[in-house]
Amino acid sequence: MPSLSAWKITALVVLAIVLLALPQVVKSSFAIDIFIRILLFSFIGVAWNLMGGYAKQLSLGHAAYFGLGAYTSTIMQVDFGISPWIGMLAGGVVAALASLPIGWLCFRLRGPYFTIATIATAQALMLIFLKFRDLAWGAEGTTIPNLGSAPLMLQFETKASYYYVVLGLLALGLLITYKIEKSWMGYYLVAIGEDEDAAGAIGVNAPRIKRDIYMISAFLTALAGTFYTQYIYFIDPATAFSFSISIEAALVSIVGGIGTLWGPVIGTVLLETTSALLQSWLGSSTGGIQLTVYALILMAVILWRPTGLMGWINDAIQRHRDRRPVTPRTAP
Amino acid sequence: MLETVAQAVINGLLIGGIYALVSIGVTLIFGVVKIVNFAQGEFVMIGMYISFFLFSYLGIDPLLSLFVSMPVLFVLGALIQHFLIRRVLGPNDMPQIFLTFALSLLLLNLSLLLFSANYRTVHTFYSDEAFHFGGLYVPEAKLVAFVVAMLLSGALWVFLHTTDLGKAMRAASQKPDVAVLMGINPNRVFAVAFGAALALAGAAGSLLMPFYSAYPFVGQVFVLMAFVAVVLGTLGNVIGALIASLMMGVAESLGIQFVGADSGLIVVFAMLLLTLAFKPNGLGGGRMR
Repeated sequence: MPSLSAWKITALVVLAIVLLALPQVVKSSFAIDIFIRILLFSFIGVAWNLMGGYAKQLSLGHAAYFGLGAYTSTIMQVDFGISPWIGMLAGGVVAALASLPIGWLCFRLRGPYFTIATIATAQALMLIFLKFRDLAWGAEGTTIPNLGSAPLMLQFETKASYYYVVLGLLALGLLITYKIEKSWMGYYLVAIGEDEDAAGAIGVNAPRIKRDIYMISAFLTALAGTFYTQYIYFIDPATAFSFSISIEAALVSIVGGIGTLWGPVIGTVLLETTSALLQSWLGSSTGGIQLTVYALILMAVILWRPTGLMGWINDAIQRHRDRRPVTPRTAP
Repeated sequence: MLETVAQAVINGLLIGGIYALVSIGVTLIFGVVKIVNFAQGEFVMIGMYISFFLFSYLGIDPLLSLFVSMPVLFVLGALIQHFLIRRVLGPNDMPQIFLTFALSLLLLNLSLLLFSANYRTVHTFYSDEAFHFGGLYVPEAKLVAFVVAMLLSGALWVFLHTTDLGKAMRAASQKPDVAVLMGINPNRVFAVAFGAALALAGAAGSLLMPFYSAYPFVGQVFVLMAFVAVVLGTLGNVIGALIASLMMGVAESLGIQFVGADSGLIVVFAMLLLTLAFKPNGLGGGRMR
């Protein structure tokens, strides 16, 4: 598809206007906080989806890169006074470089054991940051000095400003995904995801492609880590390398539809809205209810709708166009 | 010094027996059904809660509650295989990974809702007793757990090698297509394998209860150990998993003794990463034994 159709461009422009105007219309800081969470996890999901969705390398260890990004920028800011904007880029580079040895180890395994190896590397990084106090404050973590309004230091007085930053990140992630999807690399990724050996047999350099997409995915995930730390003004190993970040990155993509441009965004909107509704109905006293519901949604999607919400939406559009029943789509 | 090392090795072997029950389950499911059960640790947790509640409400000793936890988990396993896992079997491993992962997430958070995050312990008459050999110290509860774990592992090996159903399971793991042609019903074999693996996890839970606390996240410790042991001992290999589990128990215990109390997991991760770097196919051969 070389050019976007007219109605798609219109839809994109309308969406952009709505998203840009949202914090000007909605003033509730609770609501903006939820919007920021949705945009942030959409972005993390988009980063995960590049490798997990298109190439089907199911990582449950993306917290490793989230944490590396968060720690790189925080160490640079707190110890050396360097702006987190620069730290954010540096964190991305650190994460991309770290993905090389981690990928070298984990890609030796395939399927579920690749997934386990990624879990182990993220947990190992968390343990390293917990154990070595000289490295970065140990288990207690540290608070980020509050400078009030300091846009150059990635600190703002209003939540709306954070909203625009993370909206920009998400736009960047979607643009990169779109470019990759339409390039030769996108086709190679899908080929690897379908059948790695067959892709290799027709001349796709699978190890190199996997390495490259892992670097891009790690780079983007690290940007989210810096943003999150600046947003909550605090960092410790348990938050920065939290397993729940790895879970959510994968979950939003699967529920939304893996290997699709908008899947992670749609998945995040559904899951985070559900989570916010549950919290406002039940209060925060019932620990475990949010993940119980997430687990049930995930099981339902896998058993009945393996192409995710995007698959369902595409089927509906197709049905509307054809005016005839569609054959059920098989699992990706 | 020598005595300290010997004591650490004994402690490691004793807990390694429990790791073995969990990893044999993981490797059995991987060998026969060809999936990795991310929820295996949560079934250890269920086994622990079964023993805990039987002890606190009915006063039944955790070792006797083996006769409840194992059959209950066997049936649960067969049902999960029949109603959930069976629907996602096939060459595509994405739904398999995330189905068992969702199951793990569900069981963990349900138990958090139902039982709270509190640590539950059981105090039996033998919980504080220990045998002394020279300067060495062997806690009774752990020794019993180890012996029963080895007996159960041995029983599984005998079952796999002498009974028709066991042979059918090994056949299905080696050449699934040919096994079907030989008249083996894969659904039945898979259900039994899944049930047996969960029964072993339940047994691990009951055996742990006299000397370990039950809490919703307890399974995560054991499942991580099991995954490493299964990679180390060659995927799908029962004896490999057993030996690797004992090694991991010893390595963890030596790490705790000589590096620091909180470094057990670091040793485990180091072992996993070293295995991946130098022996990605595990230490043994490839077939299920």
